[in-house]
Amino acid sequence: MTTDPTSLDQAIERCAQEPIQVPGSIQPQGFLLVLDETDLRVLQASENAERWLGVPARALAGQAFAELVGEGFDLRQQLANLPDDEIFPFHIGDARLHQGAPWPAALRVLAHRHDQVLILEFEPHRDSPGNAGKDDYYPLVRAFVSTLHQATRIDELLQQSVRQIKRITGFGRVKAYRFDSEGTGTVLAEDADPGYPSYLGLCFPASDIPRQARELYRINRIRVIEDANYRPSPLVPAANPRTGKALDMSFAALRSVSPVHLQYMRNMGTLASMSLSIVVNDRLWGLVSCHHEQPRPVDFKTRTACELLANVLSLQIEAIESHDSTRQLLDLRQRIVRMLAAMADHDSVSDGLLALPEVMLQFAGATGAAIISAERCDLIGATPPVAQVNALAHWLAQRGGDAVFHTDNVRRDVDELPELARHAAGVLAVAISQIHSHYLLWFRPEQAHTVNWAGRPEKTVAPQGNLNPRHSFERWQEEVRGFSAPWDPLIIEGVQELRGAVLGIVLRKAEEMAQLAGELRRSNKELEAFSYSVSHDLRAPLRHIAGYSELLGEIEGAKLSERGKRFLGHIEDAAQFAGTLVDNLLNFSQMGRSALRLTDVDLNTLIDAIRTELAPDYAGRAVTWEIAELPKVIADPAFINMVLHNLIANAIKYTRGRDPARIEIAAVRHRHEIEFLVRDNGVGFDMAYVDKLFGVFQRLHRMEEFEGTGIGLASVRRIIERHDGRVWAEGRIDQGASFHFTLPLHPTSA
Amino acid sequence: MLKPILLVEDNPRDLELTLLALERSQLANEVIVVRDGADALDYLLRRNAYAERDDGNPAVMLLDLKLPKVDGLEVLKVVRDTAELRSIPIVMLTSSREGPDLRRAYELGVNAYVVKPVEFKEFVTAISDLGMFWAVLNEPPPGSLRLNRRGSN
Repeated sequence: MTTDPTSLDQAIERCAQEPIQVPGSIQPQGFLLVLDETDLRVLQASENAERWLGVPARALAGQAFAELVGEGFDLRQQLANLPDDEIFPFHIGDARLHQGAPWPAALRVLAHRHDQVLILEFEPHRDSPGNAGKDDYYPLVRAFVSTLHQATRIDELLQQSVRQIKRITGFGRVKAYRFDSEGTGTVLAEDADPGYPSYLGLCFPASDIPRQARELYRINRIRVIEDANYRPSPLVPAANPRTGKALDMSFAALRSVSPVHLQYMRNMGTLASMSLSIVVNDRLWGLVSCHHEQPRPVDFKTRTACELLANVLSLQIEAIESHDSTRQLLDLRQRIVRMLAAMADHDSVSDGLLALPEVMLQFAGATGAAIISAERCDLIGATPPVAQVNALAHWLAQRGGDAVFHTDNVRRDVDELPELARHAAGVLAVAISQIHSHYLLWFRPEQAHTVNWAGRPEKTVAPQGNLNPRHSFERWQEEVRGFSAPWDPLIIEGVQELRGAVLGIVLRKAEEMAQLAGELRRSNKELEAFSYSVSHDLRAPLRHIAGYSELLGEIEGAKLSERGKRFLGHIEDAAQFAGTLVDNLLNFSQMGRSALRLTDVDLNTLIDAIRTELAPDYAGRAVTWEIAELPKVIADPAFINMVLHNLIANAIKYTRGRDPARIEIAAVRHRHEIEFLVRDNGVGFDMAYVDKLFGVFQRLHRMEEFEGTGIGLASVRRIIERHDGRVWAEGRIDQGASFHFTLPLHPTSA
Repeated sequence: MLKPILLVEDNPRDLELTLLALERSQLANEVIVVRDGADALDYLLRRNAYAERDDGNPAVMLLDLKLPKVDGLEVLKVVRDTAELRSIPIVMLTSSREGPDLRRAYELGVNAYVVKPVEFKEFVTAISDLGMFWAVLNEPPPGSLRLNRRGSN
């Protein structure tokens, strides 16, 4: 015997290959005849038929069925009771055997059609020990069904069921277990007589029930073994003459079972067993497993009642589960809707989700989450460090494949990032862009837990390579490490749904942007037309006002009173100012439209020229200039000149009255850009209005204090933004101001 | 005899101001005023009302861009397309530097383009300079003493 894992796997696989639906023999508590339904003659018979009929099985082939039973039983007539779509053995009636047969009593006749033949199983009426007289199960079943409604939790439901089934069958121990997605069964309910070992809470490994047995449990929902020490009775002849192969007994009540299973039963110390399948949504959900230390017959009526109970139980579980999953789905949907609403309300997917951190976590039942977009990695809750999260995103991008990735064991499934497993055990990831590596990630912590196995879950392999079922079913504990709670398929579906919606939102935002760009183009065109007409139509009358008022002053000035001269002066000033306003406005609108001509610009030279140009404005004032050596930049020289001109002119203007005025111009080099600043010790401004500073026609001072059209800084901003730079200002009232702008080190566009 | 300056201007106020400016620039040239593009072409081509005028082209044409009937650009185009008129210097006067007009005017071979300044003093200066350059410098009359005028202003 060996426990070498490879030979164990091979042995388990061999076990799963055993053709248990065609065992070629039956359990001997009844006998079986295979008939040709057209002529009702015998094709095959179980060897033990001789014990009942007094005729050797091999002599039965070809015999007319009518000669084997008493005259009171007309099979053709009884078969009329057998529904055409019935696949399970159906009790078509009771029959006495022919005169002179060794078995005088009536036998139940169960019939079913399968494998192209009619299969008849005969079994005696028997009372289960300790269950005498309970011939009518209807009141029991009715009571059971009515109590099932009160159970709202699955474990309560199972507990009631095992108690009831134990009452009906009289088995010494009845337990119900549930299979997880791996096939491991956990005992959730148990009712046992004193002296029976308890398995409540223990786990049975998936390999205890091989694949093909599981499938058989799914389609045939009851299996009885009355005595694990039975001697199987073979069919004679061995092959079904219709198919030339061994008879398929998938649905036969008497089907013989695998010797490995019988050994398993003997090892467990139970000689009789009955298994009822719990099938939910067409999947084998669990089993109700009844055991008895001694061999124990189970009458047809009892079996029928139990099957009914198991069916009702299955339906009830299905109802509870679907209720639960509906509720869960509803919660999930509500959270999706809230997240989507937030995303639609915010400028970006990230901002939307960050606004609802709790919902984001609850949605996936996670303790941490991350939102990864092109330029950002935002973390929520307990997550691995940013570097690890980014590495994971990179790993996901390399991996390609499905949009959704999930694991409940990072160490096992993401072995390229061993660090990650120190921070999280479960990861759920979904790509939310078809082009970029944008992801939503959720994290779950490790959930170390103990599994109580019913015996060490390794089976051993006999020298012939067959399985040797374990002998001990003593509790054996296993520590499970590295796993998080598994991701519910509903959550994974929800994540898919979220992904679809996010893609939709991103698409819609792109469309909105395109529409906005279109509108912008249109309104730019309108603005162009507008400024054209403004320049034309507004400038002419302004020119006339200015011209005539000046001429009036020249020609008639001597005749005017001082007041009249003053008024005339105001008219001239106003016309001139309006003219400047119109000109500046036109310049400003031009700035947005003319193409940038990027070239190397020497700012120090520009500044020198501007100072010379502005010299008349500060003539007679003490101005201390602190102009640093400025780096060369790549920009449109005419526009940058306008920026510096505006800022320097402002500095000169707003330091009026300072003695000395101090104007500093400097540059700070950053990683991707250069920042320039023009700082003065002038009147400054209230930071409360800093947002207005760069707006068109926004002025923070009264006209009498400081003249201006309110377009200068707006132009500065427009020019710098067209250069892909930023502008900002800092200042305090009477404490001076500083104006900053940046230019990228490597301009991308002209 | 100096060649005349041909001024094409429809707006009476601009006309008055321009004439004042020309007067102040003390150019000796006669100023001939026409009020729209059609009259301008009639004058240049000696047609209709101007069929009987003395021959010879003006020293310079100050041409407003926006004119009734035939606009400045059309007049410009005809001048440049007509062999005997082609050499006339043309200065476009306009209220704005905006729009496609500027580009179009240069394409059509305008000699200069002046945006009328709002301030009257500047306007006078601009008109004087223009007149000086095209009416005087281009074909300097003997003994002209007014070449240094600009510096004295």
